[in-house]
Amino acid sequence: MKRTFAAAAGIAATAAIVLAGCSGGTEATDPDGPITLTLSGWSLDTTPEFQALADAFTEQNPDVTVELVGYDPVEYNTLLTADLAARSGPDIITQKEVKFVSTFQEGGQLLDVSDVELPDGIGGASSYEIDGASYAVPYRQDSWVLFYNKDLFDAAGVEQPDGSWTWDDYEEAAAALTTDASKGAYQHTWQSVVQGFANAQTGADILDGDYEHFAPYYERVQAMEEAGSEVAFNTATANQLTYQGEFGTQKAAMLPMGTWYVATLIAQQASGEANDFEWGIAPIPQEDASTAGLDNEPVTFGDPTGFGINAGIDENKVEAAKDFLEFAASEEAAQVLAGIGITPALLNDTVVETYFSVDGAPGDDLSKFAFAEHETLPENPTSSRTAAIQGILADMHTAILSGSSSVDDAIAEAQDRVASEVGTD
Amino acid sequence: MATSARTAAPPAARKVPQHRPGSKLRRHNTIVGWSFILPNFLGFGLLTLVPIVVLFYMSFTNWNAFGTADWVGFANYERLLTDGSFRISFLNTLYYTVLHIPLTIVASLGLALLLNNKLRGVAFFRTAAFFPYITSIVAIAVVWNLLFSPDSGPINEVLRAIGITEPPGWLTSPEWAMPAVVIVGTWRDMGYYMVLFLAGLQTVPRELHEAARMDGANVWQRFVNVTLPCLRPTMFFVTVMLTINSLKIFDLILVMTGGGPGQSTSVISQFIYRRGFEENQFGFASSAAVALFFLCIAVTVVQFLWNKKRSV
Repeated sequence: MKRTFAAAAGIAATAAIVLAGCSGGTEATDPDGPITLTLSGWSLDTTPEFQALADAFTEQNPDVTVELVGYDPVEYNTLLTADLAARSGPDIITQKEVKFVSTFQEGGQLLDVSDVELPDGIGGASSYEIDGASYAVPYRQDSWVLFYNKDLFDAAGVEQPDGSWTWDDYEEAAAALTTDASKGAYQHTWQSVVQGFANAQTGADILDGDYEHFAPYYERVQAMEEAGSEVAFNTATANQLTYQGEFGTQKAAMLPMGTWYVATLIAQQASGEANDFEWGIAPIPQEDASTAGLDNEPVTFGDPTGFGINAGIDENKVEAAKDFLEFAASEEAAQVLAGIGITPALLNDTVVETYFSVDGAPGDDLSKFAFAEHETLPENPTSSRTAAIQGILADMHTAILSGSSSVDDAIAEAQDRVASEVGTD
Repeated sequence: MATSARTAAPPAARKVPQHRPGSKLRRHNTIVGWSFILPNFLGFGLLTLVPIVVLFYMSFTNWNAFGTADWVGFANYERLLTDGSFRISFLNTLYYTVLHIPLTIVASLGLALLLNNKLRGVAFFRTAAFFPYITSIVAIAVVWNLLFSPDSGPINEVLRAIGITEPPGWLTSPEWAMPAVVIVGTWRDMGYYMVLFLAGLQTVPRELHEAARMDGANVWQRFVNVTLPCLRPTMFFVTVMLTINSLKIFDLILVMTGGGPGQSTSVISQFIYRRGFEENQFGFASSAAVALFFLCIAVTVVQFLWNKKRSV
């Protein structure tokens, strides 16, 4: 009898625990009352842009509060996918990576936001267009530039970049800059560092399954490793080198990297994590002279970060959410972002001024030119096949640079794999 | 609820058995027994059984994490058969398993035999051997990456010092990356299996060893004819666990090589992870997971049958 009681109590307790996990529900919002919008972000402690935008928006719209929902930065898309599939996603979905936009859109998770007005000259909006409709609004767009250490250039007696460089000039300078203590350049191990430039500057489309255009770019990297003007890929992976460490402690005189590193470098120089030296940014070297020089628009690449709206959002919140998107793309928001060292999607003279007025930022004109003037092509085309193709190209990248496969063999294999495993148009 | 259970129980217990004597009692005991394992079973059912059943269903659909999952029949499995990456991952998984199991058994059994002796500080050495198993996998990956560094790593320095002029490229070479991962895998796992073998060694009767010694058997003969046969239940358990864990290898590959260089260390679990969580092809990824499930089951069943045959 006692045992029966114990068993029954056990069942009851277990059931209670299980059922407690399944509780939940949505409450309707009063359209005239105060509105709270939830917005997804990552690493909220070290990524101030979300809070800055939320505060600036609430200042303009006192009856709308924007509440941040923090996610792990590495597993952001996986966690968000899980939340959305469980219908507990945030109202405003931050699009961290463009290659997931089409997944969310095809899954019916994103509201059509084509009617949100965007200012002229904003970058990255095309990455969010699918079949003529927009599913997100860009607020941030980093693009790739060339960081260079002015002190090391002067010490080696090498002329500093003037904005007219092609990759040949870059390779030559790297060789001249290499000393016993420091390399001419550091090329980080990411596939983007080679493939992003190759795609953007040759006008190639990774979706078409033809990758011959990568060959000269990989051959140049191999030649530079051979010449010793940059750290070998195998050393960089084995020793888990970081680009912040290599450039920040003056082990490399040049570094192709995204503009997000500007704010990091300023902060690390201030904290002493990076050495104290003069640096600047220059336009990324070009494929040929036709796009190089200060009277041209240098071609580079980069993906925007943007905000989309959850398709399952409470109807009464839609207007407020769209207002937030419009605000995030506006010049006002761009000023807020530039003030904290973030590269806004909208760049004009005043925004650039704000960005470079930060203590520790380079003050030369070439840096401002490199930051503001460029044709930034998307790194990831908006397609459901992008993620799979980038995975195959990542394998190709390690196969070539580890030296385990020749450039031609690896490219041929990647083409075969894309054709047989993913398919081309 | 609790009170009703209390009042309901006594009449049931008072009833006269109608069929065989004791059957009522047995049924009662069964129900009580079941009710005791129910909480655990609920957890298992909700967190393991249901997801596995759903996994089987998903492998027949084109689910992409959102919305409806359309039934596609065996399309995912057909694609799996022709998918070059899956074939490579499958072969790499077998390669890892075939290399990892014997190495780990030899290493952990050797350690167990050494540390089964009465030795000053034996507890310390046992603990030391167990350390790798409880160390963070990410830390392990960082340190071993440095050790394996082809140009400046200590391992190749030693190899060069003993006269090997062209030591392997380890994690940077497609031929040596998998052996390098196996070495780390063995180093990590041997402490755990050593503990199992140590427990097994306690069950080997002393008298058998003494009798064998009286008959003039040397150390090796005693090991082969006394220790090993007595260890057979432990050996069987270790082999089964090692096989399943080797076939499911994931974390070590992910943090050490990411499947590279190229696809030279890509394994089935990683194939599943990439198709599912990176490319959102959950239906296709599920079919690969089902394939891995059946591979594990098949190998385990064969081992069970073999063990049964030998114990007859």
